[in-house]
Amino acid sequence: MTPAWTLTSAFAAALLVLLLPARSAGFAKVIALVGSLVGMVAAAVACLARLSNPSGAVWSFDCDWIPSLGARFHLAADGLSLTLLLLTGIVAVAGVLFSWNVTHRPRAFFAFFMTIIGGVYGVFLSRDAFLLFVFYEIVILPKYMLIAIWGSTNKEYGAMKLTMYSIGASALILIGISVAYAAAGGTSFDIAHLAAASYSPALQSWAFPILFLGFTVLAGIWPFHTWAPTGHVAAPTAASMLLAGVVMKLGAFGALCVAMPLFPLGFAQWQPVIAGLAVIGIIYGALTALSQKDLKFVIGYSSVSHMGFILLGMAAATHWGLRGAVLQMISHGIIAGLLFGIAGRVVYERTHTRDLAALKEFDLWKTLPGVAIAFTLATAASMGMPGFSGFVAEISVVIGLWQAYPWLTIAVAIGIILTGAFSLRALQKTCFPNRTPTDAAAHALPPLTWPEISAISLLLAVSLAIGIYPKPWIVLIDDGLRSPLFNSILSLP
Amino acid sequence: MNYSTLFIQLLPEAVLVVTALLLLGVAVATEAKTGKPIANATASAISAIGVILAGFAIFNMPSNIDSGSQLISMDPLARIFKAVVLGLGLLAILLPPARREIQNPGEFFALILFALTGLSLTSGTNHLLFLFVALELASLSLYLLAGFPRTARASEASLKYFLFGGVSAAFLLFGLSLVYGFSNAATLPELAVKLAENPTSPLAIAGLVMVVVGIGFKLAAAPFHYWAPDVYQGAPATSVALISAASKAVGMVVLVRFLLIGFSAASGSAAWGGMVAGWSLWIGVLAAVSMIFGNVLALAQTSVRRLLAYSAVANTGYLLVGLCANGASAAGAALFYVVVYGLATLGTLAVTAAVERNRGNDSPTSFAGLVHRSPLQAVALLVFLASLAGIPPLAGFAGKFAMFSAALSASTHGGDPGLTWLVGLASIMSAISLYYYLSILKQAFVKESAEAGEESPITASHALAVGIPAAALVVLGLFPALLLDPITAALIGSMSGR
Amino acid sequence: MMLLSLILLPLLGAVLLALQPRLGAKGAGQFTMCWAVLALLLAGGLGCPVMSSREWSLPWIPDADIALRFSLDGISWLFLVLTGLVTLFAVVASLLNGKGDRAYFALILVLQSALFGVFTARHFIPWFLCWELTLIPAYLLIRLWGGTGAPKAALRFFIMTLGGSAFMLVGFLALQLAIGTMDFDALGKLAANHQLAGGLEKAFAFTGASGHTLLTCVALAVFLGLAVKLPVVPFHAWLPAAYAEAPTPVTMLLTGLLSKMGVYGLLRIFLPVFPEVLPSIAPLLSWLAVATVLLGAMAALAQTDLKRMLAYSSVNHLGYCALAIAAAAAVQTDRSALAAALSGTVLQAINHGVIASTLFFGIGILESRSRGQRGLNDFGGLRAQTPVFCGLFGIAVFASLGLPGLSGFVGEFLIFNGAFALTPAAAVVSVAGLLLTAVFLLRMIRQVFAGPLKPSLAKWQDLGTAERIVFGIAILLIAIPGIWPQLLLQFSNAGILELLDLLSPLP
Repeated sequence: MTPAWTLTSAFAAALLVLLLPARSAGFAKVIALVGSLVGMVAAAVACLARLSNPSGAVWSFDCDWIPSLGARFHLAADGLSLTLLLLTGIVAVAGVLFSWNVTHRPRAFFAFFMTIIGGVYGVFLSRDAFLLFVFYEIVILPKYMLIAIWGSTNKEYGAMKLTMYSIGASALILIGISVAYAAAGGTSFDIAHLAAASYSPALQSWAFPILFLGFTVLAGIWPFHTWAPTGHVAAPTAASMLLAGVVMKLGAFGALCVAMPLFPLGFAQWQPVIAGLAVIGIIYGALTALSQKDLKFVIGYSSVSHMGFILLGMAAATHWGLRGAVLQMISHGIIAGLLFGIAGRVVYERTHTRDLAALKEFDLWKTLPGVAIAFTLATAASMGMPGFSGFVAEISVVIGLWQAYPWLTIAVAIGIILTGAFSLRALQKTCFPNRTPTDAAAHALPPLTWPEISAISLLLAVSLAIGIYPKPWIVLIDDGLRSPLFNSILSLP
Repeated sequence: MNYSTLFIQLLPEAVLVVTALLLLGVAVATEAKTGKPIANATASAISAIGVILAGFAIFNMPSNIDSGSQLISMDPLARIFKAVVLGLGLLAILLPPARREIQNPGEFFALILFALTGLSLTSGTNHLLFLFVALELASLSLYLLAGFPRTARASEASLKYFLFGGVSAAFLLFGLSLVYGFSNAATLPELAVKLAENPTSPLAIAGLVMVVVGIGFKLAAAPFHYWAPDVYQGAPATSVALISAASKAVGMVVLVRFLLIGFSAASGSAAWGGMVAGWSLWIGVLAAVSMIFGNVLALAQTSVRRLLAYSAVANTGYLLVGLCANGASAAGAALFYVVVYGLATLGTLAVTAAVERNRGNDSPTSFAGLVHRSPLQAVALLVFLASLAGIPPLAGFAGKFAMFSAALSASTHGGDPGLTWLVGLASIMSAISLYYYLSILKQAFVKESAEAGEESPITASHALAVGIPAAALVVLGLFPALLLDPITAALIGSMSGR
Repeated sequence: MMLLSLILLPLLGAVLLALQPRLGAKGAGQFTMCWAVLALLLAGGLGCPVMSSREWSLPWIPDADIALRFSLDGISWLFLVLTGLVTLFAVVASLLNGKGDRAYFALILVLQSALFGVFTARHFIPWFLCWELTLIPAYLLIRLWGGTGAPKAALRFFIMTLGGSAFMLVGFLALQLAIGTMDFDALGKLAANHQLAGGLEKAFAFTGASGHTLLTCVALAVFLGLAVKLPVVPFHAWLPAAYAEAPTPVTMLLTGLLSKMGVYGLLRIFLPVFPEVLPSIAPLLSWLAVATVLLGAMAALAQTDLKRMLAYSSVNHLGYCALAIAAAAAVQTDRSALAAALSGTVLQAINHGVIASTLFFGIGILESRSRGQRGLNDFGGLRAQTPVFCGLFGIAVFASLGLPGLSGFVGEFLIFNGAFALTPAAAVVSVAGLLLTAVFLLRMIRQVFAGPLKPSLAKWQDLGTAERIVFGIAILLIAIPGIWPQLLLQFSNAGILELLDLLSPLP
């Protein structure tokens, strides 16, 4: 099973779902599950193969596409891509499982869902800037549709805001890529080729922020993060999971693997600004999360805060920093998926409220102890408790940051403490409300269903596995970071 | 002068004219016999057959023939765009006419064929005078086509179109005569030779300005676009399809021929920090104004047809970005994009016409619930609008990306910003355009239909008019090289004066 | 491998419990009891010399020398056995009191797993992992099964501990960045060669501070994390409420085991890693220790709630451990005094674990019979009504106040023995604590057991058979080490000697 299976299985599933006759619309979810499982297994197999033979050649596929432009259909899967593919596969499976009860236009829902997954796989595999951009943009319309049709709370506003931010950011990326293409001679979009070209420092100093900002808007960089909370809240559960879990990672991936290698000198110039914005994002996100009343908004702002760590790792530009950034991408992907899954699907579908004060009535600890325990573990993971993936990632970022900007670690420490505070607050209000005996008895709630249990266990198990034994992930990420793409960044003074 | 070769070269146009005459004859005969005008379906079938035959004539034309006439230049670019004109014309013919729009199908379709003849001839000439004559043949037909329903609105549209078109023709003619007066050359390659000797001649520049203004009217570039919204709204859908798709493509070909073949010596530069007076600069300004004007006004429209008119203005802006760089690959990409744009607009019009017939008006809200009423049209609409907005994997994306990156690489040298300002503006404007396209898609996919109206079943020709462009956009989006590479190669061939 | 299986065994039990939704509270308790016996046997078995593989390690982030490394020596083994014992004790107490349900017992097992990990990890990362892992089950146990004030108490416990841990993490991260390792043994060896301060100075040159100052900061950060857990006086604010609001079996775990994490950390991590700066911070440590001893005792004197009183008494008793550590930090030349103080710390930690949990077990019995009442003045004259209970409880109280012949005495004796030689002033002041302890404990005996019988207590039954057996075993465990301290010391001696070599290397 080559990594290409991820891409093809997702798009094939989307197509199959679309072609389903109306009377067997119920099969849509089954097809989507099979498609995403195939993708996940293919990614896992590829990861294992790479681990067992780390020095072998990287899988790649390369053929002509638009010769007059020099755009090629070039896919490749080094360790870094593989880990992100696996993340996508896992989140996809969990997302389908959490969407098991979608009955409103299920064919369209799963078709859009699988299209997003396919686009994400495509971005992580692309080695050609043009191709990467194609996959990057494919995601936009399905995202809009998922939110606008199946969403809740102000869905059309949230969907439109998110879409306009995305497309605006894409315009910046287009400019950045075109500039690099033109300055490198206008013959090829291959990322390695573009990165190998030498651009004048003057060009880098204005082209880098354009390209970097274009990518990082999707990664929720402060102050362009405002699409994230509204979008996440408006989206249906599976879409929130995808958005926070993997789509935000597209931006981070692009910034790491395209923007920074292309314009290393520009990066060096803007490095302190990026680090500053990242720290502001971490603290701002945490502080805002601390004052939210809606559970999904808490998680939405926590995403902004957590994505700040990714940016911070990249801004540090040390080996530890980059490694930490990728680890945090994976870790946050899993944890955000889990939190959104529990808050948006498991809790909301039963209580029909996400208001932290109103959740008190349901006394989740008593009525749904399984949910309370799962949410507690997810919160612990999100807080960066040792033993969960978040700890490994954050500690790597902090070490990396230390080597570049020691003083900023203090701000990060504050951010971590604030993260603990808002996580605990949300946990306390959601699962363990202060009830007095005079309160009305909690309503009985329907028990957990098997798709929910399996999705929660899958995500929790992965987060724990990374937290307890991160070595294979680190080996794979290091494999990717050894690529010549990152030489120019890691060798910055 | 080899007349047999000339006949072969003109065979496609000849087929069109003969079909038109035949159609008129059949129409008269039918009306005389039955007392009623010829049936719409019959008329459109006859003209469709004529267009297809003309297409065969193009495809079977031996390459590398030269009649020796200066009037007709059958270069590869002409060949491709004649085929494009016929293809877009065929799709326009297949469009379902809106209710009571066309009282006399015989005349209507004959006029379409005449318009196509004019457009086809226009795309295949480098001769200044013949270009004007052919263009006016097309334009006169289009003025009539725009006013065909004889409603107040259509009459207004037709009159506006006619007045603006007349003025633009005057500009064009005046410009051409100035150019001729300067160079004493009747064809563009000769002009290029003369211009190379004296690139800054005021007479030539004045002539070029007039020509650009004249063609700018045809292309609906701001600020010469005022006819567009009323025509798009008032004219029959078929006419609008021709005006927006085929006529625009031909206008681009003419402009490309003028600027890149005739006036390439006077290009100047619109690069940031290195601006040099010349057409590149004017085109750049025109592009910027069109993009901003078109997109901003489109945001405020409540009629889809008017929205498409402003989107046409905006798209003209993008096209001019491709020309502005004065590079073959950028201009080739622009020509590719104009085809793609034509397909997408034509398809959107086809869907709009159907919605209008069922719902009575073309406000975005009448698209509500389209996905339930007609999934095929809804999905096709998604393809058209997404392509217009430049979302991959559709052809509009490939066209824009190719155009922008080629424009940049033609204009930047070393580390200077070159045309980044214009390309940046274009990509951001293109991003903004998604907002209004999405507002239509939102109605079609997200909203539920308020009223359960009667749905007339979709006809075969309508399905083709919707399905073919959609399929073409997907295929060209996945494999843009299919059309982009031939166009670029042809343009390079034409420029080198083969 | 055996070590790993010991750590994972309780976790497996918790998973098994989680997978049986139909199991009732009683069934779950019995299952957990069997499981705890199994864990105790395995923990005890690991002490046999035949168990050769006492080390287990798995690389974590290879290029940073981070590994999940666990290993076992005599001192660790004592703490493991203590963990096994007290957990079993708490489970039995829960069963006898009819406390808890499936989730409750599962959480106790998770807690036990984490504790096993804390007492055996030899690298900071796994140690910290387990250290933090204790927090979640402990928090939930207090929060969900505690009294009316539990939510607040649990949150305070959680946040204070977490805050301390954050400092500790920062401290060790600094070491990782400067020295390149967080392995306790490796750090200890480097520290013995005086290499830590230099490394820190080089890595943190931008701060302009000297290596000694930097290492002092790191040491204080680590101390802070450990001190919250112990707790040392200004950081003890979470303790009384948490101990009082937690269900009594959980309080047994808190005082018997969780506080020992602090002692263990000070003894096995703080002392060996920071000998370079110990003398300079020793005065601070000794006065904090003295304050802990005295204020703990005085606060206990002021309490009317039995649980709160015993909670403060725990603070007081663990203050002696802190005193010993401070004494060891102050002077490292007198090897025999050092050995006495360190051995005393181990003994005091183990014995206090047993004694305090026995005392709370007794309080639990009182509480269950009085339906939740536990004020000092709610009882009176019980000696006549429940003589067996009073006798056994009395022995435990006397052990706690340090009566020779019982286990409480030996630890304190050794500690003072060392402390007088090393930091005489602090030791002298602390002696006052011993007296105060006697005062409040004896007052408790008088109030509860002596005097006229309160009418509301007239129907009380004496201990049942099961309670007698459990209480009796506990008293045995108190008595035997008191008479025969060598039983425990023989296990800790080797470890203490190693520690001595690190602190004051033989010339």
